[in-house]
Amino acid sequence: MEQPNALILEMQNGNEKAFSRIYSLYSEAIFGIINSIVLDESVAEEILQDVFVKIWNNAKSYDINKGRFFTWLLNIARNAAIDHTRSKASKNSKKNLSATNFVNILFDSDSLNQKTNAIGIRNFVDKLKPACIKIIDLLFFKGYTQADAAKTLDIPLGTIKTRNRNCIKDLRTMVLG
Amino acid sequence: MTKEELISSGKLELYVCGALPSEEISEVEDAIASYPEVKKEVEEIEASLISLAETVAPPLPAMVWTSILNSIRNVRSINQSGTSTNWAAISGWAAAILCIGGIIWMLQQNNTLKEDILITTTENTELKSRIDLTEGKLTSVTDLLAIIGSKDYNAITLPGNAAVASEAFAKVYFNETEKIAYFDGTGLPKAPVGKVYQVWSLKLDPLTPTSVGLLGSISENDTGIFKFENIPDPEAFGITLEPEGGSESPTLSQLYILGTVSP
Repeated sequence: MEQPNALILEMQNGNEKAFSRIYSLYSEAIFGIINSIVLDESVAEEILQDVFVKIWNNAKSYDINKGRFFTWLLNIARNAAIDHTRSKASKNSKKNLSATNFVNILFDSDSLNQKTNAIGIRNFVDKLKPACIKIIDLLFFKGYTQADAAKTLDIPLGTIKTRNRNCIKDLRTMVLG
Repeated sequence: MTKEELISSGKLELYVCGALPSEEISEVEDAIASYPEVKKEVEEIEASLISLAETVAPPLPAMVWTSILNSIRNVRSINQSGTSTNWAAISGWAAAILCIGGIIWMLQQNNTLKEDILITTTENTELKSRIDLTEGKLTSVTDLLAIIGSKDYNAITLPGNAAVASEAFAKVYFNETEKIAYFDGTGLPKAPVGKVYQVWSLKLDPLTPTSVGLLGSISENDTGIFKFENIPDPEAFGITLEPEGGSESPTLSQLYILGTVSP
């Protein structure tokens, strides 16, 4: 997907319509990310709301010549969700950030059944290798660094990059055909 | 690192995930800017990851977007009432002031034009009355010419009296049957103040003068031609300079013009 730079520029100039288009393009994925971290749909909704208000208010701090817009959104969303989990973790240490991955959520959540393509989704997530689920969960959903991911997965640092690439390659074949 | 090496290195995937160390980012961004294949690869990685994240996302209530809109609008309205300049209001006022200025200017223009019209109308009236006057004069002169040019009138040139005014002369257009005479006094010197030319009809033997009338002030009459009626059968005409109002009998020392009717 080519990045919608024209929309982004208009949003930066305060165009609400452009912002609304951006919301419909990215909100679902960002919601998925946040939910995989906070593990609570209503909390995830609140954080998503805060994240998009932040995006609107700080739209000008994104530079279309530097970095992907989606990656910028991803960082804001993960940081907001992780901040929330940390402040909550002091009260309730039961939920550990790395203990549950996006696939567990997928099969835990009943509401997902309402999705029209729920079966197809399960199919392609099912096909991902368990090692891939783990590495994609850490690097993409949880925002781990290579070093942290290597430590958590107990594999050499040099393996992270290639394994991640191969896993995303599999994902691409499944998603994009 | 060639573009193929970069694509297979796994750096692009880390870049999209936001997990690439900052010192390696510029290398990737340079390659994205230079090679469409690298850009396409990044876009596909991003698309597949977005799909995955969407896949695991619970249904997103529409209420969330409404709340976002509400909060960004509140933030904006607070900003507007605070430090930020309200350009809409400023430009509105500026437009209103410009508009009023324009209206005043147009009213002034309108007044000036009205005054101009008034002046022009007055000038037109003046010109028209002058034309009327001139036309009137032209008509009277034309009529006069028609009268004195007709065969009923004899044109007689009365010579100046050599003793008093040898240079002077007068012309008379005389209709014997109707006893009407037109006197042209333009050949006479200007009458001094307090004096007036008087026309006499003369019988020569014996010399009997009968007053015909006064020529009045020649300068006041544009044509300088005077009409007299009921002229007794004259044998000659004479013109004398008399005190204002005329005299009973001619002052012969002031006889300017003397001439017979029939040659």
